[in-house]
Amino acid sequence: MLKFIYTIRKEALILLRDKAGLIILFLMPTVLIVIMSLLQEFGYSSVRRETQVNVLFLDHDGDSLGFKIRTGLMKAGYFNLIDSVDGKPATDSSIRDAVKKGKYVVGVVIPKGVTKKIRSNVKLMVAKTMAGFGLYDQRIVDQIPFGLADTITLYFDPTVKKSFQYGVVSSLKQYNYQIESEMIFSTFNQELAKAFPTYRPPSQSFKDAVEFQEEYPSYHEVERIPDSAEHNVPAWTVFAMFFIIIPLTSSMIIEREAGSQFRLMAMPVTYMQLLMAKVFVYLLVCFVQAVLMMLAGMYLLPLVNVTPLVMAVNIFSLVVITVMTALAALGYGVLVGTIAGTHQQAAAFGAVSIIIMAAMGGLWVPTYLMNPAMQHFATFSPLNWALNGYYTIFLRGGGLREIFPDTLKLLIFFLVMVSGTAFYRKLKNPMNK
Amino acid sequence: MSVKPIIEIRDLTKIYKGSDEPAVDSISLDIYPDEIFGLLGPNGAGKTTTISILCGIFAPTRGSITIDGLDIGKDLSRIKHRIGVVPQDLALYPTLTALENLTFFGNMYGLKGADLRDRIFDCLKVFGLEKVAHKKIYSFSGGMKRRVNLIAGLLHHPRIIFLDEPTVGIDVQSRFVILEYLNKINKEGTTIIYTSHYMEEAENLCSRVAIVDRGKIISIGNPKELVKEHPEFKNLENIFLHLTGKEMRD
Repeated sequence: MLKFIYTIRKEALILLRDKAGLIILFLMPTVLIVIMSLLQEFGYSSVRRETQVNVLFLDHDGDSLGFKIRTGLMKAGYFNLIDSVDGKPATDSSIRDAVKKGKYVVGVVIPKGVTKKIRSNVKLMVAKTMAGFGLYDQRIVDQIPFGLADTITLYFDPTVKKSFQYGVVSSLKQYNYQIESEMIFSTFNQELAKAFPTYRPPSQSFKDAVEFQEEYPSYHEVERIPDSAEHNVPAWTVFAMFFIIIPLTSSMIIEREAGSQFRLMAMPVTYMQLLMAKVFVYLLVCFVQAVLMMLAGMYLLPLVNVTPLVMAVNIFSLVVITVMTALAALGYGVLVGTIAGTHQQAAAFGAVSIIIMAAMGGLWVPTYLMNPAMQHFATFSPLNWALNGYYTIFLRGGGLREIFPDTLKLLIFFLVMVSGTAFYRKLKNPMNK
Repeated sequence: MSVKPIIEIRDLTKIYKGSDEPAVDSISLDIYPDEIFGLLGPNGAGKTTTISILCGIFAPTRGSITIDGLDIGKDLSRIKHRIGVVPQDLALYPTLTALENLTFFGNMYGLKGADLRDRIFDCLKVFGLEKVAHKKIYSFSGGMKRRVNLIAGLLHHPRIIFLDEPTVGIDVQSRFVILEYLNKINKEGTTIIYTSHYMEEAENLCSRVAIVDRGKIISIGNPKELVKEHPEFKNLENIFLHLTGKEMRD
């Protein structure tokens, strides 16, 4: 036990003396959190109606549909409608040009007379229906064709995500259906009143039978809407913690190349004793790193106008998942550092493998957007277990019981990695202990 | 010699994975207490591999080793308390001070507290390093590092010391201090097994040398007697060149 403590002291001294290394270890992940949260703020904050997309809007219609679309988009809260380009009133070509040049990401042009055309088509459709009751001459009505559909033009910047495009198009279609429904309803009423003088239209307008309620089920008693910080801080904390393998493997390889490991192996101490002391010190580093990243989420993000991380969570569970994540990362580092022959091998393999595991584990693209095969593979990534554990705490309000499956997987991963290290060393040299 | 050997090596062979040639080829050797035994050989002759096996770092492919009456395969942990190793590399932590380095290595032998500190300062004084005890190793000259490297293997008063090229790349003064100290502790009862490329140094220091080449011992004996046996070569270096050839090995 004493040798373990002495080795911890030695490792801590070496680490503390490497000021540049410490700055990189603690500063870079903090910068990462701020940048990534800043980048992704829009996606989440739009849900909270805090940031709006500028939309070039040109209404040639000037009637019900144009008005409905304008008010609908404005009420949605996601969009800021703009009707001029470079200080001049927008035109079809100036809107197209502005989107082409990337000045705006969306442009909407509503053609002239589109409401009139809808109205005329609705009237015709109602007349055709009424003809079935003998209220109009069927032969005459059947000969009248429906007017050709008009086109609402939507300009999208090529960089705009499909999901966003789909959202805009769906909204416009919804406004169109609403206008058509209202017109059909009122035209029917008018025609029925003409045909049956005693008919009295309903005093109330049509009410939607179905409403939509958005909920975010969680273990919290009070429902909360997840924000950018709650998604980003855990994700990038996990990512940065796994990158601890770079300094860890570097420390292991330096010790091996400098001959210190040779000397130590000739002393009455085992490799595992030395390694576990190193793991302990780097575990503290990981923990401090995670704490700093959480603090950055709480106090730095508001400084760059990003919603801050709210630490209204079970702190003990947070400590447990952080320690288990760090252990998993360190276990992986220990194996890579033992097998890798050189710094370059360890750094290249370590970094790339973490990026792969991060991508696979849903740190960059949520797992629900992956294809079924990748969703299956995601469940094998320790970064996915760690992220899921954090999300259970931050987004679902879970505690120790809820994160238990993920913490257990992370712990088993650590034990497998360390056992793998011992096995590999024994395989290479039966004298190794 | 009628004294019981402190190190008994029998048929020691080491073949590294992926290699056809043995690095150490059926070496049998007895080393006696109070000897300064020199393992001499060109680069790649098998000296460091032999020392690594004797220190318990590598397992031999074949053969048996007994150190101070203990079988290396069964009592390695006890053997490690009785041996000291001074590797060829400067196996120190550059950002730690000399005192911190030596304290850590002393701790690994179970030494601690005031006893360890006194021992460290005694050694630092012998090697003229007591004034730089609190300076970091990266600021040391090559000779100073080599001396700290040596002290790290001596702190626990080992019965046997393995020294792999302990005087390589240092100035005459540092070499003199190191060799003088090795002579002193040898006289106090420490067995020294030592590898070197400096034939003159080995000739003066060692009570016996083994010339090793291609993993085999090709000559063994007291260096002065070896020179006497081959008067035509005048010194150990010429005998060495005669036995191992003049072609370069690396």
